[in-house]
Amino acid sequence: MSTETGSLENGSLVDYRYREGNNRLGLWLFIISDSFVFAGLLISRYYLLGFNYHPDVNQILGLAVTVMLLVSSYFMYRAETLMKYGDVRGFIRNASVTMVLGALFLIGVVGLEWQIAPAGPNDGAVWSLFYTMTGFHAFHVLTGLILLFIVWRKARMGKYNADRHWGVEAAAVYWHFVDVVWFFFYPALYLVGRAVI
Amino acid sequence: MEDKKKQALRLGTNVILFLLALTAAEFFIGAYLKIWWVGIILLIISTTKAVFVIRDYMHVSRLFVGEEETH
Repeated sequence: MSTETGSLENGSLVDYRYREGNNRLGLWLFIISDSFVFAGLLISRYYLLGFNYHPDVNQILGLAVTVMLLVSSYFMYRAETLMKYGDVRGFIRNASVTMVLGALFLIGVVGLEWQIAPAGPNDGAVWSLFYTMTGFHAFHVLTGLILLFIVWRKARMGKYNADRHWGVEAAAVYWHFVDVVWFFFYPALYLVGRAVI
Repeated sequence: MEDKKKQALRLGTNVILFLLALTAAEFFIGAYLKIWWVGIILLIISTTKAVFVIRDYMHVSRLFVGEEETH
């Protein structure tokens, strides 16, 4: 029985740690691979606009969504830490805040920024790239939210404890990765250079 | 155990405060300084933020320790 539920009741902790080590390697391999796609998008942006221009987007909204994602990472860190020390209720509470902030980030980018942007994805290479970068990142946020919801639900069902919570760690690492990507996208899309339509 | 937990939570708080300060600096530098090399400074700030998150929040060091030592 290799499911998380099974491992909570059966199987030795040594086996669990061994599998967890392999899972961790696999997750980081995926993250490094995914980073290359984001890096390609970032390089395209600097190739097209250099350090002189950025798309004419809403600066305040950009800062607001950035802070939301950053703070969501903090709550995700707290959630994982509390689970590590056996505080399942603390995990559920902090993971809930993370999900709310993640959803607000999505609403801010896709629901607001995309609606008020002065151009659409068909209005030239710059705007096409803007929508590709924010869209691709937003898909990752959405994926993170789905993963987090699954883990949150399993935690409510009592399927994790202080010793066995690989799902929680995986969701946390993925969520922080999405945040790290935005660290590079935010200045590239909102801050570097002057606004250009 | 309780001390370690408090220490870990405090580390998380310190990191987020530092990241928020860097983000504020990033915003003001990017919004008000319009010189070409601002882009380089912003890249350095982004990289610094990424290093802290990868080290302290993503626990990259867990990759390099034995399975028994990770928790």
